[in-house]
Amino acid sequence: MSQPKKKNFKIEPFKHKVEMDPKYAEKTWKILEDAIHEIYNHNASGLSFEELYRNAYNMVLHKYGEKLYSGLVNTMTQHLREIAKSVESAQGGLFLEELNSKWLEHNKSLQMIRDILMYMDRTYVTNFNKTPVHELGLNLWRDNIVRSSKIRDRLLDTLLDLVHRERTGEVINRGLMRNITKMLMDLGPTVYQEEFERPFLEAAADFYRLESQQFIETSDCADYLKKAERRLNEEIERVTHYLDPRSEIKITAVVEKEMIGNHMKLLVEMENSGLVSMLIDDKYDDLARMYNLFRRVTTGLQTVREVMIHHLRETGRQLVMDPERLKDPVEFVQRLLDEKDKYDKIIHLSFSNDKTFQNALNSAFEFFINLNVRSPEFISLFVDDKLRKGLKGVSEEDVETVLDKVMMLFRYLQEKDVFEKYYKQHLAKRLLSGRTVSDDAERSLIVKLKTECGYQFTSKLEGMFTDMKTSRDTMQGFNAMLANTGESSETRATAEGPTLAVQVLTTGSWPTQSGARCNLPTEILTMCDKFKAYYLSTHTGRRLTWQTNMGTADLKATFGSTNKHELNVSTYQMCVLLLFNMADKLNYREIEQATDIPSQDLKRNLQSLACVKGKNVLRKEPMSKDISEDDVFIFNDKFQSKFYKVKISTVVAQKESEPEKQETRQKVEEDRKPQIEAAIVRIMKSRRVLDHNNIISEVTKQLQARFLPNPAVIKKRIESLIEREFLERDRIDRKLYRYLA
Amino acid sequence: MRKEDTVKLISAEGFEFVIDRKAALVSNTLKNMLTSSGSFTETELGEVRFPEISTPILEKVCQYFYWSLQFASGKETEFHIEPEITLELMMAANYLHT
Repeated sequence: MSQPKKKNFKIEPFKHKVEMDPKYAEKTWKILEDAIHEIYNHNASGLSFEELYRNAYNMVLHKYGEKLYSGLVNTMTQHLREIAKSVESAQGGLFLEELNSKWLEHNKSLQMIRDILMYMDRTYVTNFNKTPVHELGLNLWRDNIVRSSKIRDRLLDTLLDLVHRERTGEVINRGLMRNITKMLMDLGPTVYQEEFERPFLEAAADFYRLESQQFIETSDCADYLKKAERRLNEEIERVTHYLDPRSEIKITAVVEKEMIGNHMKLLVEMENSGLVSMLIDDKYDDLARMYNLFRRVTTGLQTVREVMIHHLRETGRQLVMDPERLKDPVEFVQRLLDEKDKYDKIIHLSFSNDKTFQNALNSAFEFFINLNVRSPEFISLFVDDKLRKGLKGVSEEDVETVLDKVMMLFRYLQEKDVFEKYYKQHLAKRLLSGRTVSDDAERSLIVKLKTECGYQFTSKLEGMFTDMKTSRDTMQGFNAMLANTGESSETRATAEGPTLAVQVLTTGSWPTQSGARCNLPTEILTMCDKFKAYYLSTHTGRRLTWQTNMGTADLKATFGSTNKHELNVSTYQMCVLLLFNMADKLNYREIEQATDIPSQDLKRNLQSLACVKGKNVLRKEPMSKDISEDDVFIFNDKFQSKFYKVKISTVVAQKESEPEKQETRQKVEEDRKPQIEAAIVRIMKSRRVLDHNNIISEVTKQLQARFLPNPAVIKKRIESLIEREFLERDRIDRKLYRYLA
Repeated sequence: MRKEDTVKLISAEGFEFVIDRKAALVSNTLKNMLTSSGSFTETELGEVRFPEISTPILEKVCQYFYWSLQFASGKETEFHIEPEITLELMMAANYLHT
């Protein structure tokens, strides 16, 4: 009560009103001591709180605090020793029960004692820095009971035994367990840790070390993981039931280390059931389990990832190097896509879309796709196949998914320019022969390529589409012009004049082959000249050359007397066939002379005219599969076919033959040179001075999106640039290059 | 008023003050006495005997309990103390941990 005092009030020196009885302290303490005994004997109901409080109060007030405090310590210790004896003598399973009930009693008594000694707690304890009564009680309990020599080990053994029994499937009294661990926690975190947690963790480590050894010898990987997962959950559950929540992370770490960490390699590489076989058999659940368990261990996922990459690379290598598979490019790419789908699904379902795994997958694909130099060609062939026929009658969305998947493979390619080369060739063939299924799909793919590699990459491809469109317009104009000059299509048809369809292609955009020559039949030539005149009249200053090797023609032919067919042939074949309007029998040399077709092309075209069963509009003597220069060809007037329209396809290798491959390769290398040079110049222009290794790495970085340049080639380009005085070597340090502006 | 809601405080001279339990709890000592988990006589009977506190002082203490409750609920008034009893009152306050 702190009230303002009146001004004129004078405080007199304090005097004890009562002369102190010298025995007073002894007497008062006796009363309190008796009370403490009574409290421990559950006999408190006869005690007066006020009296005890007053006595303690007076003792402290009269400077007997020390006596009171030490008396309390002694009395309490005495009681606790008795309790220790009774706990020690408890038999077997009753030990914990006894300990627990005594603990509860002690707690209650302690609280009462603290209450009556509250004044001491408030003044004496704070003034003399003593331990407060409650804490004192706990400390005494700790020292006299928990750490008494006879109880300490027994308590620990009992607790560990209970845990062990529960691990082996027995049911134990979890409530009691909880109370005892709670007691240890109440006595302070260090007591809990020293008296229980540390040995508990050690015991757990021993237990799981042994168990994991047994498991691993008897079960396969999937089973083992199931067991490990169950054990882990059990321990977590145990913690929630009767351990300190802070123990969870420690005990799980122990289980993780013993069950997973120590056996990772063994588990992952387990024969017939390890990671590899799980991957092969799409065991999503097992894989997810493995992922979740291994994630808990520091290098766990890394181990999984490494094995997965290794496996992927190995299977991938087999996939791309298997000569059997290389026979069918479409099948080859389809296999790659299937493989990718498979692993995407695994990562999605089992590895919770872990980014590091996705990256691992990507790098593995990049690795093995580029193992095979023909991958770019095959991917382009795959697209070609899809766009020619594979996507017929397929919904737009499905088309998109297929194209997206192709793009994904494309991204893995290091030599994107090689892909571009082939893609251009295949696209040209598709466009010129009008075989593409869907313009939209074509364009959609180009857009995708554009977003992936930039404008430069697709500009030529887009140019091809523009050419096709302008050609259509030009043809309309041309036909209209012909109609105006009196030559209606009808009269031309009766006069057997041919209809001409021309596609004007921009040089450079198309993979044209120069030097394709052939003598066109006169009927055609006149038409060609007309078109040329028309075209040049509208577009002055341009040069037209005829790419006869890329055209097609529809011919109406009569076999025997009645058998009429329409033949769809290539331009070369048309030239050959038209020769037979004049003669029934021609030998190879005559044909070659008359048409002037390059011999390799001629042979191939004659082969398809004479040697393909069901489409042999010519007969050949002698009959054989191959064309030789001495062969004689006869018009086959006994030709028959179920169809009115007969398509005679040239025998062309879908896949490139070895020399062709070399040629394309060479072209690609040739195309790369200026790109490398441009990159070098760009870099040097900004850096001015740079050493060799840095140039190489910068160039590689710049060109990565298109291809991986060979350092030797870069070196050659640098030398060439030095020759042309774009660069010079530093006079002192020969490794340095300088840019010469 | 039910019996559980009141407590009886008895002065040295035997004078009995019956006050609200709530008011008595203002004193920490009384609070301990009345709510202690052990079964002391005070807890069981709901009455406390103070052999060392005289009637006028105990009366003043009881007044203070009620004043304090009001003060805590926001009614700020002066609590008047006669100078003659100040010392004794302070000792009682210390004893009662108020």
